[in-house]
Amino acid sequence: MKSDVSPSAVQPRSASRRAFLRNIPVVTAAAASPFPTMAAARGKHQWAMLIDVRKCIGCQACTVSCIQENAVPEGSFRTVVSTYSVKLTDAAQPAGTYMLPRLCNHCDNPPCIPVCPVAATFKRDDGIVVVDGDRCVGCAYCVQACPYDARFINHDTNKADKCTFCAHRVDAGLLPACVETCVGGARIFGDINDAEGELARRLKAAQPQLKVLKPELDTAPRVFYIGLDERFAGKVEGQGTLWKPRAHHG
Amino acid sequence: MNANVVETINVAREVAWLPWAVQYFFLIGLSYGAYLLSLPGVVFRRPGWEGISRLALVGALVCGIAAPVALLADLHQPGRFWHFYAYFTPTSWMSWGAFFIPVYLGGLVLYAWLAFRPELARHGAAGGKLAGVARMLAYGGHDSRGALRVAALVAFVGAALVALYTGAELAVVKARPLWNTPLLPLQFFVTAFAGAVGLVLVFNRLSVRDAVATRRLADVLAITQLIALVLGAVWLVLGLTGVSPTHARALAEVGPSANWQLAAVWAVSATVATLLLAWKWPGSGLLIGLLALHSAWMMRWSIFIGGQEVPKTGAGYYSYSLPLGPEGLLGIIGTAGLCIFLYVLITTVLPLDRLASTGTPKAGA
Repeated sequence: MKSDVSPSAVQPRSASRRAFLRNIPVVTAAAASPFPTMAAARGKHQWAMLIDVRKCIGCQACTVSCIQENAVPEGSFRTVVSTYSVKLTDAAQPAGTYMLPRLCNHCDNPPCIPVCPVAATFKRDDGIVVVDGDRCVGCAYCVQACPYDARFINHDTNKADKCTFCAHRVDAGLLPACVETCVGGARIFGDINDAEGELARRLKAAQPQLKVLKPELDTAPRVFYIGLDERFAGKVEGQGTLWKPRAHHG
Repeated sequence: MNANVVETINVAREVAWLPWAVQYFFLIGLSYGAYLLSLPGVVFRRPGWEGISRLALVGALVCGIAAPVALLADLHQPGRFWHFYAYFTPTSWMSWGAFFIPVYLGGLVLYAWLAFRPELARHGAAGGKLAGVARMLAYGGHDSRGALRVAALVAFVGAALVALYTGAELAVVKARPLWNTPLLPLQFFVTAFAGAVGLVLVFNRLSVRDAVATRRLADVLAITQLIALVLGAVWLVLGLTGVSPTHARALAEVGPSANWQLAAVWAVSATVATLLLAWKWPGSGLLIGLLALHSAWMMRWSIFIGGQEVPKTGAGYYSYSLPLGPEGLLGIIGTAGLCIFLYVLITTVLPLDRLASTGTPKAGA
């Protein structure tokens, strides 16, 4: 099955590129932050996601809905909420829980694309990184190149697989399944070109505390975080999980 | 390890480059290494190298023909291999590799055929197993030096490109600090060449047991082990001092792991043992040959499989256990079986004894 989908069919709700740029208050501050000032470089829409970690309750509803929506095989995940027990030194209770939803970052400078030997993985005009399932040879080079461990080989299709921001839903004017089902409202999805849209407004409001994963790699992720603890922005230093999904080699 | 953070839920990503990939990188490395060893005797006709180089050329053929099979098997869509040629992508080293492999193998097969034509004709004339096939392959049995040099040159260009792409393919992966070091391609090359020397030592032991050739190969092997140790030391110093941030990241990633510490001790011990044996006891041809082959394979296993056990975002390490099926043990055994089949096939029409003894003084070993 070709996981690539046609360019977005949804009409923009937002203002034009010029209006968007005019609305950016402090250009220098924006340049120093991960805020997507490059947003309008291509298509009308530039889809992105904001995750407010403070609102995530770790219920994994997003994980389950993604599996259901995208028929993700058992043992594989396009998104998951990584959960950590963190020792507390400044509170009465000994430890707290930290939740970090993870998914494909739909980078603006995606390391997975140049390595693909058959140009099967590409970035759509609307910023979504997808895999052309008709062309993919399953070499897994993109799996190696992704710094976020967001890709895997789907053992049902024997092709590279990953989050597509539910492109098939987005093209139909719907939200990604994980956003739709997020109990705490932690995931905000939208068009960063739509200056009046919730995503752009929230990004702008949160700008001082906006972070991305592994910023040092210059991948320019399109998944932004509020409340991202520095200790979890890269490879986490800690004790590894004992739980492992059942290996599935269908 | 930071005991203040315990990961309670996360995804453990499975190994995506399977043991097939290890087999491919091992075999193609042995092949281009053995090809280089074939040059002094076959192309340049240096005295004392004829037998060594002919054995090496058989090794290059066996490993070179088997390697792409392992590579194809590592694809999860092997039937789509033609996509590599239909959708060339210049930004991908793997895409370039798909073109370098045929250049190398085409040149190698042509070079080997031109080098062995007279031998094939002799085998055809002498009778014996597959004599008819040998006569047909000999196609007159002419010794065409000019054509041989051209074919060897094509194979050399192909071998250099294959050595370059197999190293660069991993070295460019920033997501895996362990792979993303400029020294890795050099380490691949040195261990591949050492493995090829080991293979020829084993071939020598299986055929004429030429003590002079064994000593000569032991000298070459000792040098390769010394270079491997120097490269390893440079890697470690760059990582420990922080002079090179990429090496420091790589070291920080694997340093705390008990498995990696064991692998490092194992690798250094095997290399030192091979160096000392090759230097002090060069007659231990079979032992140092097998040790060199083992080190070349273990290095690739550690880099590929061990490298994929390091999570990119999660805490700790993933654990890999070798499956028994085609995606694991059976794949390794199958590749070895294919090599043995090719070895038997080639040495039936080109017996090692005859190849190894040509132009070299024989002595008991």
